[in-house]
Amino acid sequence: MNSKKVRWLAAPYGLWMAGFIVIPLLMIFFYGLTDRNGAFTLSNLFSIAAPEHMKALILSLLLSAVSTVICLIVAYPLALILRSRNIGKGGLMVFIFILPMWMNFLLRTMAWQTLLERNGVINALLAALRLPPIAIINTPAAIVLGMVYNFLPFMILPVYNALAKIGDDVINAAKDLGADERQVLIRILMPLSVPGIVSGITMVFVPALTTFVISNLLGGSKILLIGNVIEQEFTRGSNWNLGAGLSMVLMVFILLSMALLGRYDKSGEGGAF
Amino acid sequence: MSLPLIELKNIEKSYDGNLILDDLNLSVKENSFVTLLGPSGCGKTTTLRIIGGFETPDKGSVLFNGQDITSMPANRRPLNTVFQKYALFTHMSIAENIAFGLRIRKKPQSYIDDKIRYALKLVNLEGFENRSVDSLSGGQQQRIAIARAIVNEPKLLLLDEPLGALDLKLRQDMQYELIRLKNELGITFIYVTHDQEEALTMSDTIVVMNKGYIQQMGTPEQIYNEPENAFVADFIGESNIVDGIMLRDELVEIFGAKFVCVDKGFGVNKPVDVVIRPEDIDLVKPEDGTLCGVVTHLIFKGVHYEMEVTTPDGFEWLVHSTDMFPVGQKVGIHVDPFDIQIMNKPESEDEEAAGVNE
Amino acid sequence: MKKTRFRKFLEDFYLVLTLLFLYAPIVVMMVLSFNGSKSRSQWGGFTFEWYRHMFESASIVEALYNTLLIAFLSALIATVLGTAAALGIGSMKKVTKSVYMGVNNIPMLNSDIVTGISLMLMFIAFGVSLGFKTILLAHISFNVPYVLLSVMPKLKQTSRSTYEAALDLGAEPVTAFFKVVFPDIMPGVLSGFLMAFTMSLDDFIITHFTRGAGINTLSTLIYSEVRRGIRPTMYALSTVIFVTVLTLLLIANFSPAKHPSRSDGGAGAALTRKAPGGNSFQRFVLIAAAFLVVAGVSGVTWQHLTASASDELYVYNWGEYIDESVIDRFTEETGIQVTYDLFETNEEMYPVIEAGAVRYDVVCPSDYMIQRMAENELLAEINFDNVPNIANIGPEYMEWSRAFDPDNLYSVPYTWGTVGIIYNTKRIEELGVPAPTKWADLWDERYAGEILMQDSVRDAFTVALKRLGYSLNSTDPAELREAADLLLAQKPLVQAYVVDQVRDKMLNGEAAVGVIYSGELLYLREEAEALGLDYELEYVVPEEGTNIWIDSWVIPYNARNKENAEKWINFLCRPDIAKKNFEYITYATPNFAARWILDEDQRRDPDVFPDLTQMTNSEVYRYLGTEAEDRYNELWKEIKAQ
Repeated sequence: MNSKKVRWLAAPYGLWMAGFIVIPLLMIFFYGLTDRNGAFTLSNLFSIAAPEHMKALILSLLLSAVSTVICLIVAYPLALILRSRNIGKGGLMVFIFILPMWMNFLLRTMAWQTLLERNGVINALLAALRLPPIAIINTPAAIVLGMVYNFLPFMILPVYNALAKIGDDVINAAKDLGADERQVLIRILMPLSVPGIVSGITMVFVPALTTFVISNLLGGSKILLIGNVIEQEFTRGSNWNLGAGLSMVLMVFILLSMALLGRYDKSGEGGAF
Repeated sequence: MSLPLIELKNIEKSYDGNLILDDLNLSVKENSFVTLLGPSGCGKTTTLRIIGGFETPDKGSVLFNGQDITSMPANRRPLNTVFQKYALFTHMSIAENIAFGLRIRKKPQSYIDDKIRYALKLVNLEGFENRSVDSLSGGQQQRIAIARAIVNEPKLLLLDEPLGALDLKLRQDMQYELIRLKNELGITFIYVTHDQEEALTMSDTIVVMNKGYIQQMGTPEQIYNEPENAFVADFIGESNIVDGIMLRDELVEIFGAKFVCVDKGFGVNKPVDVVIRPEDIDLVKPEDGTLCGVVTHLIFKGVHYEMEVTTPDGFEWLVHSTDMFPVGQKVGIHVDPFDIQIMNKPESEDEEAAGVNE
Repeated sequence: MKKTRFRKFLEDFYLVLTLLFLYAPIVVMMVLSFNGSKSRSQWGGFTFEWYRHMFESASIVEALYNTLLIAFLSALIATVLGTAAALGIGSMKKVTKSVYMGVNNIPMLNSDIVTGISLMLMFIAFGVSLGFKTILLAHISFNVPYVLLSVMPKLKQTSRSTYEAALDLGAEPVTAFFKVVFPDIMPGVLSGFLMAFTMSLDDFIITHFTRGAGINTLSTLIYSEVRRGIRPTMYALSTVIFVTVLTLLLIANFSPAKHPSRSDGGAGAALTRKAPGGNSFQRFVLIAAAFLVVAGVSGVTWQHLTASASDELYVYNWGEYIDESVIDRFTEETGIQVTYDLFETNEEMYPVIEAGAVRYDVVCPSDYMIQRMAENELLAEINFDNVPNIANIGPEYMEWSRAFDPDNLYSVPYTWGTVGIIYNTKRIEELGVPAPTKWADLWDERYAGEILMQDSVRDAFTVALKRLGYSLNSTDPAELREAADLLLAQKPLVQAYVVDQVRDKMLNGEAAVGVIYSGELLYLREEAEALGLDYELEYVVPEEGTNIWIDSWVIPYNARNKENAEKWINFLCRPDIAKKNFEYITYATPNFAARWILDEDQRRDPDVFPDLTQMTNSEVYRYLGTEAEDRYNELWKEIKAQ
């Protein structure tokens, strides 16, 4: 099996990608660059500048950036702890943190609604403890919480995998050369886990930027994100061309942020799984 | 006698209820090259890791220059380690790898630059500053690992099977290189290996370990020529270990034949282990030998022939000789008295591990 | 020593805290699955009712089956496709390689919504009818990148020499691959499979856009239930799934671990470290796979055996908009096999019918959408000779229908109702506000944070337009601007814009007032009584007038089984059937004969069956044309984005 023959093994997927990735994408481009009557136009793209779309985009960028940062802050120490404990039952521990993903995404988010509502579980607990109630349902804070909750596993996995790859010897070598715990973290663990961090950021930021379900369920639909705008153009407003045009703009934003991130992951080893 | 540089006192260590080190005592003089030698699982690496500060002993203490450093974390210990798989930092350039310890100590840049250049020259890798770790061969990585350790001017350098992953030629080159480095720098080396030849070539003191106990400690010559028990004899070099009976001082009986030796003080009619190195056996005419046998195996080894001589009792003697005797020839076996090494038989397995002759 | 113990405590604390965060919603779901009440925050006693219901419900069992089958098949195919591709890509030149990887990354970088929509657009453009196979294709497409991502790194680590050694020892290339290379990359392949399976299981958005007639996965089924509040049956189902997975996992992890862990010390620990959980994953996947293969094969055969019926009918209806036993009864009586499918909004239904991606035989849209469909010639005239039961429909509803179906040619009314204000008697008393009687009351500042508005353009504008005294079908830009400004001014007072959750939220006492469809009233009252609430929920049709809505059955132009569709409509117009449906969906029925056999107090309930002759200032929605719709949508987005 020489390498030329082996190359053909990728052919079926090549065809598949052409059929189910490239052509659909061209469909989006086609819709995005035409109006309802099929005439060429750029207005669908430029409509991102309309104040209501701009506001939604900026808010989406802001909320997903905040969620991504929180995910990273929560997941990194967790991954460090899991790494230090992974002798023996490490696989199981990691799995325990991924398991919630097997509960349906919509149900999980609905359950948060139940928890956070004014008369919800958390407030009932707080009342029992004679503490003042919290009122974050239907606010951006609730949306961020929903994003963090739903996408946290996507951060934990790649960061953990990147950290688990670092050998104990490397850490011992750094300690041996005089580095204390903090210096080991900053000079060794963090730089070596950059690929994992990059892919974690990608996997949290992208779905968070484009979500519409979370903002609907936890934001009380009072907060319009760019995902909601697009979804509504397709399912309610029925202006598919505008929806496709906005999707293209969103794609550009995602590609830009990925290109920016990609510079920190030169080796391209950010294998998430 | 000067104070030992490092001293291990009554060290005990176990993992999951398995005793790895039991009441280990060891002291290393300044400026020596000490090798911990033993089969895998003998506790040599654990000993090194305890000195390095990567493991805490369950009992006992570690003294450095007389000061107790048992609970001192690794990063504060005035010694450095070269790891088995080099453990270079792949996200840094070669220069940054070497500079790591100096940067932690906040040395000035000019000092660091000088040190990098000096260290690279020392390990014969001048001009490698900006190369990446991945672009280096195993031997080069090994040398960088050494350079990274020695720029910190440690009093003591710990080396954990540093040549284990290299091929034979490179290994031999590196052995000389390490000896040269040690002599140039005047640093004390503690070296861990399971390769007896490496140990014999490089060290001035060898510590043979087995099952968590020190079996014997001494110069390479002592270890080779006067093994204190069967384990050491078997582990170091090739040897014939046979059952014998010490008839009286300076006379031992092997397979019914009486051999004159130089050992005394074993008592009368006492069963003992007898060690005879293959090169110490002289093959003579059958009538001149103390024992008689037939050559059953012959291999040309370059500097000498390796033969097996089977005596009537069925024992196969390993013999190295520059003279050749063809297979099937009857020969006599003769050994000079000072080439016979007598050892007490261990009375139990535990005793065997602990090394009764100590 | 003390320091490290303290640190370990901190670490444990952190782990527990994170786990609490991750599992809190799941625990809530599990608790709710035993809740005697349908409410999400009222405890109605312990019950196994929902578990029983789950196993009895054909739609749930089928959705579960679809979900698992799609997840398994898509993960399996994606794994084969992806592993082969990884091998091929591994030996490619740099340029081709980066093209492959670049395209491969698109689904991962693109939002799900774009992926889903783009696939839908393509399927529709190429005339592929949406259904099981389109979901499967879509899932395979978004799964392969995960497989590639986990196989590629493993492949990089595998040395070529082992493969060559195998060739040297006389193995055929294929044998060499399966005996040497494959075991090496197996952990990557397995984790790729598992990841793909998980992603497929959890996907909603892509499935939502690519599914078609008569097919639901758990996600889409649940989403359709969000419309009327999720039934605890779903919680029960999730609990069962979760506990199953957890049990499998624990069995796989703990049972074989007993023996080797004791025999060896440091070396053993070092070995297990190399393969974190590899074994348990393997075992788990094998168990799961074996189970699924058996289920899959038997399921497919069963489907083939039963799908042989020649007489069929494709129904497209709102979620939770029929008593499921009615469908069975229809099949029983007529021998017609029903493929039943759901939609969420009129706007979502329209393009599906327009594109003809799925050829439905009978659909149940709302008033204005019927007008739009008729205007665009998407509807077939109903042959009323085949629908004699039309006589049971009250003539006034046929009259109101003329607003959107001027000659009563295309539609047969199914449900109708009004839009009004529901209020919590106790809560408004606490706030010191009189009970609302008109739309203008929804601008009363004393209601700040207590108002639930409808999250749909037309309904929201109805509130403002009617308050201003304009027609709710207004297309006058000035009037619409005025209404939009009014809604903007109201936004700070609004707690949330919701569609069907008004019901749940009002029951839970989350808000004082809400805009609601009259059809929800009966259910709300029953539920409030069952919960023994200390407040009442009252309904009022505002003085300024409101929207009268009618959902009617229509037959699309491209229906393949038009006569069966007419049989269906006729069947639903039968008084006993209409009564059964009314009791299930609780939306007012236009069927006079059916109303006659209802309980006295229900029949005369003025909130459920208001006297239409009195409601002169109320109107039915009409289709306003694209231009006006765009204007509504623009203004609505402006309000939402504020």
